[in-house]
Order: sequence, then structure tokens, then C-alpha cells
Amino acid sequence: MQKLKFNINGKHYEATVAETSHNVAEVELNGKKYTVEVERAESVAVPHIAAPKPAAAAPVAAPAAAPKVAAGANSVTAPLPGSVTVVNVKAGDAVKAGQTLIIIEAMKMENEVLAPADGTVTAVHVSGGQAVQQGDALLDLA
Amino acid sequence: MSEIQKQQVAKLIENRETARLGGGEKAIEKQHAKGKYTARERIHMLLDEGSFEEFDMFVTHRCYDFGMEKKHTYGDGVVTGYGTIGGRLVYVFAQDFTVTAGSLSISMAEKICKVMDMAMRNGAPCIGLNDSGGARIQEGVNALAGYANIFQRNVMASGVIPQISAIFGPCAGGAVYSPALTDFVIMRRDTSYMFLTGPKVVKTVTGEDVTQEQLGGASMHTTKSGVAQFAVDTEEEGIGLIRDLLAYMPQNNADMAPRIPCADDIARKEDILNEIIPDNPNKPYDMYEVIRGIVDNGEYLESAATYAKNIITCFARFNGQSVGIIANQPNFMAGVLDINASRKAARFVRFCDAFNIPIVTLVDVPGFLPGTGQEYGGVITHGAKLLYAYCEATVPKVTVTLRKAYGGAYIVMSSKHIRGDINYAWPTAEIAVMGASGAVEVLHAKELAAFTDAEEKAKFVEKCEQEYKDKFSNPYNAARYGYIDDVIEPRNTRFRVIRALESLQTKRVGNPAKKHGNIPL
Repeated sequence: MQKLKFNINGKHYEATVAETSHNVAEVELNGKKYTVEVERAESVAVPHIAAPKPAAAAPVAAPAAAPKVAAGANSVTAPLPGSVTVVNVKAGDAVKAGQTLIIIEAMKMENEVLAPADGTVTAVHVSGGQAVQQGDALLDLA
Repeated sequence: MSEIQKQQVAKLIENRETARLGGGEKAIEKQHAKGKYTARERIHMLLDEGSFEEFDMFVTHRCYDFGMEKKHTYGDGVVTGYGTIGGRLVYVFAQDFTVTAGSLSISMAEKICKVMDMAMRNGAPCIGLNDSGGARIQEGVNALAGYANIFQRNVMASGVIPQISAIFGPCAGGAVYSPALTDFVIMRRDTSYMFLTGPKVVKTVTGEDVTQEQLGGASMHTTKSGVAQFAVDTEEEGIGLIRDLLAYMPQNNADMAPRIPCADDIARKEDILNEIIPDNPNKPYDMYEVIRGIVDNGEYLESAATYAKNIITCFARFNGQSVGIIANQPNFMAGVLDINASRKAARFVRFCDAFNIPIVTLVDVPGFLPGTGQEYGGVITHGAKLLYAYCEATVPKVTVTLRKAYGGAYIVMSSKHIRGDINYAWPTAEIAVMGASGAVEVLHAKELAAFTDAEEKAKFVEKCEQEYKDKFSNPYNAARYGYIDDVIEPRNTRFRVIRALESLQTKRVGNPAKKHGNIPL
């Protein structure tokens, strides 16, 4: 229930509005009853913003990566992603546990990859300048 | 003594002897043949001579299915009780593989729960020596109820009393969760294994052919999974380790971390530390040398030494005061923070905090490890664990920045901003948002793009990098804002850390009351 008092051109009006359903209201104006159908104001329009179209992916040539060698049980693998700077050994070399085999530059650090055990290098899978991912086989020991 | 009294005592002695034999002489021989000790022998080695008091020697199972009604053994496959280690009270249970393969019955679980309850009530550490074939299938759901009762107690005791598990035999299926819930897990190589499903099931489900050792051996768990912190070659070594570990821990969370007399000179200057940081910031060095140089007698006990070697977590002492050290290791993976390092260190920080063990952090961290492997694996969440642990910790926190402290990793590694109490830096410290070359690329992106001559560009880059280094690749910028309390001479580190720890003895800081936080698990 809402009561309104107002003047139009000096004439006084008193109205009571009782909304009875969502758009039909009972209005009493200076003692006289009216049934009024209310036109709702349009709600503020929210501009529709289209989702940005995904840029068409330009066809990217797969980088000509050196073929990755699956790490086997005897592989020495890259501890972290980086770039091989130094390869100290070649296939056939005998190595001692703890000897530096390869240096990988990563995180602004020259990371030494050490021989986990005494053995002989059976294959070297990487060369200087090559990028490697964590877990990539660097060389095989036997 | 009357004849009846004599008989009663004789009967008791006879019963005790029967109980002490566990599964019988044959089974004991078999256990020895496998190179394993019996439960009683293990307890004898673990506890101070003559200190063991046993409970529930005469407990038997209460199962009447599958012929179990005919097989009753005193003790029912576990030896429980209390004793002392280094004169301090501890509670212990040791599963007895000679009795029905140490399989877990509800009676066995009740015995284990009893010592756990006693340990909680009296605020003493609880040690479990595991050697069990798993659930006693004949008992059905009762065996599972037994496990559940133990797990619930493990969780309630977590952070209240230290809990240490040694795995000296099989530990498979549900059984693994009790050790997993404890603070430290020790495994013996070649005789022990932990897995949820054994090689047979793995073969049928995934087709993989693996041995028990490959699937859940000590080497695997201490290098790949991080489930266990210690791998040992003998049971003697494992038991010695439990005794050593306990020496660094208080009895419970209301006790102070232990302090012992210190014979090492607290003002010992370690000249080698003045020279340890290479001139070239791209060269690694060995953080263990720094740790040995500053702690009492150069002694430390490292947890998870072979897992995530890019971060070191160890116990040590400063002027006799037990502390936990967390240190980046430039010698391995440049000392980066990655998923595994974050998890390992976070758990260690929380252990120390739970048990009032001050934390000393040695920082040389280039940042978090970039890459899809890390991001897909949720390095954000895992890194947040370490951040959370440090932020939450209220124990004394002393931090020394040796060299690099970059970006988010700077914040995480016990910086001043996350309630680091005393933060020192060596003159070699570089505390900045990022390294010089990365920073120059961002700061001078436009100018760099305009260059056409490569040589001139390189000159410009060099000039800018030098400018950046002069400004930021040093500890003084951070010190200017009070984020570093002092820049110290490396060889004085021991003395300065000891002084700092002494001043923090009475530290009192609280966290808001809450049910529990929501650490990003």
C-alpha cells in the first residue's frame, strides 16, 4: 500500500495504490477507485559484449627438435630443463661415479650432471647448444 | 610360599616364556634367515637397556572363522609397551612377523591403539616398527576397523607428539596409511616395501611388470615418491636413526625443543665461508659446506636427503639448541624451487613449527622452475604450501640470504615480510624481483626493439645490466628498507645466528583462533 499526495495545476489529489498482481493495480484517486494496468519501464539494457574471437592460430611449424631419445633404465637424464653447454664425454669413455659428464645451463646456473656410478658411456644423445627438457635422456651408461 | 602360590608363579613364568617366543622357534629362525630381527629384538635394540615395560602380552585374537579358533598366540602378532630412549619416555609397538605374518587383527589394533592413547595422555613420542603381511583376512571387516582406529589416532596425535615409523618388512594396502600419517618414515633397503597394490595387481590392471623393490622399495620411496624420508641398509642403522632423530625433538608440542650442552665455540669464525660464493653468479657451490661450517660440531641429521635435492631439510644444533634448517642447494638444479622441493620443505617447516623447533633458513634461490611440466603439475599450489607453512609458523625464524633471492621465491624463503624474525644477508646477496638480464629485457623493451646494430644493442644491454646490478644485485637495497636486519660477514654467520636464536627464546606470537587453516593441499 502506497499513499501519494500531489497537486496538478493547483488541484489537490490523494491517491492510494494497492498492487494486486504484477502489473494490475487498484488505485483510489480522491475517493474514486480505478483498476490500472501498469506499463513496466524497460529495464536498463546491458550492452551485449561478444566474447573475443580466438585469434586463428597461425600454423606453426613444429620446431625441428633433435629427436628425443626415450630414457631407459641406464640413461642419465636432465635434472631440469635448460640448454646443454658442455659435453665432457663420448661413447666408449670410462667414467667414475661423481664425475661431471655434462653441464646444462639453466636458471642462470651451470648445472653439473654427475655420473651416478662407475661405468662406460655407451651413447651420448645430446650435443652442445641443444635444449633439453626435464627427464630427457642425455647419455647412456653401462 | 605355599605349594599353590608356587604353582601360580611357575605358571606365570611359563606363560611369559611362551608369549616371548611369539610364533615359535621355527618362525623365529625363518625371520632370521631372511636377515630380519624379531619384534622383541628390535625393541631391545631401540630402547635403553632394561627400560622396556610390556603391555598386553596375553592378548589373543577373538576370531572363530576359517580355522582361526584353533590358532591362538599370546600377544597376537604385536609387541607393545613403553621404555626410554636416552632417558626419555617413548611408547612403541613392533609388529611380529612370526605370528600369522604379523597380520593385523582387531586385537592387535587394540594393543596398538592402547599405546598410542597412552603416548598421547603422557605426551611422549610414539614409534611404530612395521612388519606385517596386511589385514588378517579371516577377521573380515574387523581388521579394517582395526586399521581405521589406528589411523584416527595417528591423526589426533599429529602435531601433539612426534610419531616415527620404521618399515622393516612388508607394508601393503591399507597398512601404508598409518606410516604415511606419521612424521617420519624410515625404510630398510631390500627387505621392506610399501605400496597400495602389489606387483600382481599392477600387472593385471596396467600390464606393467615390476618387482616389489621397484614398485615400493626404500630407494624408490626416498628418491621418486618422497613417501619415506630415510633409506637404511640395516635394521641397526634404522633403529639408530630413530634414536638420533628423537634427540632433536621435544617430547610433545607443549615442550621446548631440546637443548644440550655445547662444546663447540659459539664464536667460531669460519674463514672458508668468506670465499665460498663464486665470483661468477652462474657457478654453483655446495650448501652442505655452509651448513657444516655454522652448526655445532659440523653435525646435522638430514631428512629426505635423496628426494628433491635442490632443497636441504635437516636438523642441527646451534649452541646446543635443536633447530630445523631449510636451505636451497645451488649444486643441484641451481637450487630452484619446484613442486617436490616445495612439498618437502613445507612439510619440514610444519613439523618444526608444530614441535617448537626454531627454523633457520639459508637462501640461495634463483626462483621457481619454469615449464609446462611444473605448471601442469600445479607448482602454484605446491609452492603455496611452502609459503603457507612459513607464514603460519610461529617458532623463531632466522634467515640468512647467501646469494640469490629472486621474485616470489625471495618472499617464500622466510623473508621479513612473512614474519621472519631476524633476516641477515651476506654481502654477496642479490635480492631483487628478477636477475639482471631478465629485468633489462623488460625495463628497456622499447629501446632494445629500436636497435638495428647488434653490437650496439649488446653494448646497451651490458650498460643497462650493470646499472641494474649496481642498484639491485646486492643486499643494500633490501637493507635500506629494513627488510634485511643486517649485512653480515660470512665467517661470522655461526655467531650471529646463535645470538639471534638466543634473543628469540622468549618469542611469543600467535595465530588467530580457528578450527584449522586451509593449506593448499
